[in-house]
Amino acid sequence: MAVSARRQTLGMVPVIIVAMLMLLPMIWIVALSLKPNAELMAGTESVFRAPWTLQNYADIFGGSAVFRWLMNSLIVSLGVTAGVLILSSLAGYGFARLEFPGRDLVFVLVLVGLAVPEQAVILARHQLFSLLGLHNTYPGLILPGLSAPFGVFLMTQYFRAIPKELDEAALLDNAGRLKVLWKVLLPLTLPAQATLGIFTFISAWNDYWWPLISATRQDMFTLTVGVASQQMNFAQTEGLGFLMAQAVFAGLPMLIVYLFFQKYIVQAVAGAAGR
Amino acid sequence: MRKLRQSAVAIVALLALGSCARGEPERTTITLQRFFGACEAQYGGSTDVETAEGECGIITTLINRFEAENPDIDVKVNVVFWPGYDQLTAQLAANDEPDLVIMHASVIPDYQARGLIDPIGAELKAAGVDPARFTEAARLGVTIDDQIWGLPFDTWAPLWHINMNLFRQAGLVQDGQPILPTSAQELLAQAEQFERATGKPYLVQISANEYASYARNLYTLMFQQGAAVFDRPDRIDLNNPQARAVLNLFRTIDDRGLTTKNQDYSAATAGFLNGDGGVLINGTWMVGTFDLESRTTGRPLSGGYAVRTYPQLFAGRAATFVDSHVWVMPRDAGRTDAERAAALRLLKFLADNDLQWARTGHLPAFQDIIDSPAFLALPHRSDLAFLATTGRLLRAGVRRQFSIETILGEESAAAIAGNKSVDQALIDGERRVNTLLANL
Repeated sequence: MAVSARRQTLGMVPVIIVAMLMLLPMIWIVALSLKPNAELMAGTESVFRAPWTLQNYADIFGGSAVFRWLMNSLIVSLGVTAGVLILSSLAGYGFARLEFPGRDLVFVLVLVGLAVPEQAVILARHQLFSLLGLHNTYPGLILPGLSAPFGVFLMTQYFRAIPKELDEAALLDNAGRLKVLWKVLLPLTLPAQATLGIFTFISAWNDYWWPLISATRQDMFTLTVGVASQQMNFAQTEGLGFLMAQAVFAGLPMLIVYLFFQKYIVQAVAGAAGR
Repeated sequence: MRKLRQSAVAIVALLALGSCARGEPERTTITLQRFFGACEAQYGGSTDVETAEGECGIITTLINRFEAENPDIDVKVNVVFWPGYDQLTAQLAANDEPDLVIMHASVIPDYQARGLIDPIGAELKAAGVDPARFTEAARLGVTIDDQIWGLPFDTWAPLWHINMNLFRQAGLVQDGQPILPTSAQELLAQAEQFERATGKPYLVQISANEYASYARNLYTLMFQQGAAVFDRPDRIDLNNPQARAVLNLFRTIDDRGLTTKNQDYSAATAGFLNGDGGVLINGTWMVGTFDLESRTTGRPLSGGYAVRTYPQLFAGRAATFVDSHVWVMPRDAGRTDAERAAALRLLKFLADNDLQWARTGHLPAFQDIIDSPAFLALPHRSDLAFLATTGRLLRAGVRRQFSIETILGEESAAAIAGNKSVDQALIDGERRVNTLLANL
């Protein structure tokens, strides 16, 4: 027993080393964010000695639009996440459980969407949204994210893995299709919903390109576009501390999400890998 | 009675509010889009332009002051990530363009050729900004087809930033002035003398992850030899002895170890600040930073910083490649006369305050400001003032200059590092640029 425990402890050593290695860049970013920009311009080795400062963070919060951008990012990310979960669940259920003409063809068409990069459709989408007057609006930022072939695929596969007998039993008890979905099947897909929700939220939160060209007014910037706009030219040289503070600030909400949903994220990733 | 009193108070309050509302001037809102970063925390409420520092500080306080002096105009500032052209293009495609945008002079041809910006020369003159006051370099940067396409705000150029302490150690200072080469051979000789005396490379170059400096070296030294670089706006000419001479010179410098190698922008700047070499080739925007460093005790640059334009390394004419920051007015059929007038009033204000902007290190766009004692009194500016007449841009109408810079940088880097012959690099560069321009 003692030998086994010792082996387990020894086994943890490389894990800890690798974890530390992965953590080092983040520690470096935080450390740089606490240094005056002028000092960093002459060399980053000054990070190991005083003075340190919170001025870079004060400069971020001093920008009156920052909290607006934070709110915009939250609205867009939550909107996209909710939309993707609803649409993917409905579509996944339909593909997995319902019989209708052309089902397999439509499913293949949805999967083809996985192979179409955003760059290929961005011009047409931009023009379409211009015609509809959707730029610089929340729907303009949320709607493109709702097209989620991966989500549909994931949920379809998940629904297919659930025994049909459960639906049949509920149907025999006079439950309607929506009731079966809502009361019986959806609770069983929570791990998949968590996986999809978390990945969708992260992806929407980090999105830069579409918000850059759709939300062109400062009051509609998302956090990614907003913090980038604050950078002066050559920020990596003349404003390195500020740049790093921005990185920390923009990453904090993600960290909070991770801390709160750590259990689900680990389960989701492990589940996705296992599946 | 009480009710009557309350009603009377309410009526008086309403009347007071009404009279206030009538007293408020009707405000015209215009949108100005710029890069240069955000510094609201420091300068958000300041109108004290004279004490503001840096590009961001000065432009922010300038706009604040304009609004304070012009209460009938509300300027909405849209700050975008440098250089902001993706956003501008998207805005133009969506008919949501700002009223004024900061744009590099080298980018103007791309927007002008597609009819996306308005010529404003006549309106500027009517507003009190006579284009005849522009420096030659600034005027060339905004002129296409004999029309003025924006208000030049400055002229910027790559410069030779010099560590005078190391130059002194190398015996390259005379009467307090740096001794700079007057030919390619002299450059090599002085660089070797410098290297022997200090043990450090003569040049500190930005040569990794950035191609602009390669292209700017090539342009400048080709101009010095009288080469046109572009014989037509849509055709570059690199298959000539002038281009070969430039690349061969930089290849020799590299081969002999007279320059730093593989340093990106940050590393080269830090290296120069730490005294790792004699000359950093970098832009006008660094003058203030290095000047401040030279006034700080205990630093490698303390009391020993000078800045000069490129030395004349080839027989020909004095020339340095320059570019400008320009305020342009995107074409907008929906812009009202009031908005247009407000935008022009703002342009006039910015022109009137060009001296303040010049404290960033950039050169003013107006010759009378360059000649003024106030400008010449700024640190090092008297050494740079003649850039206004020797500064040269690429031929008017050359499009895709940012992309061209990248192509020329890639090919130059390959030749200088020895990965390609100089001839092959020039052939490839010419082919790639001309293919790009032929397919617009």
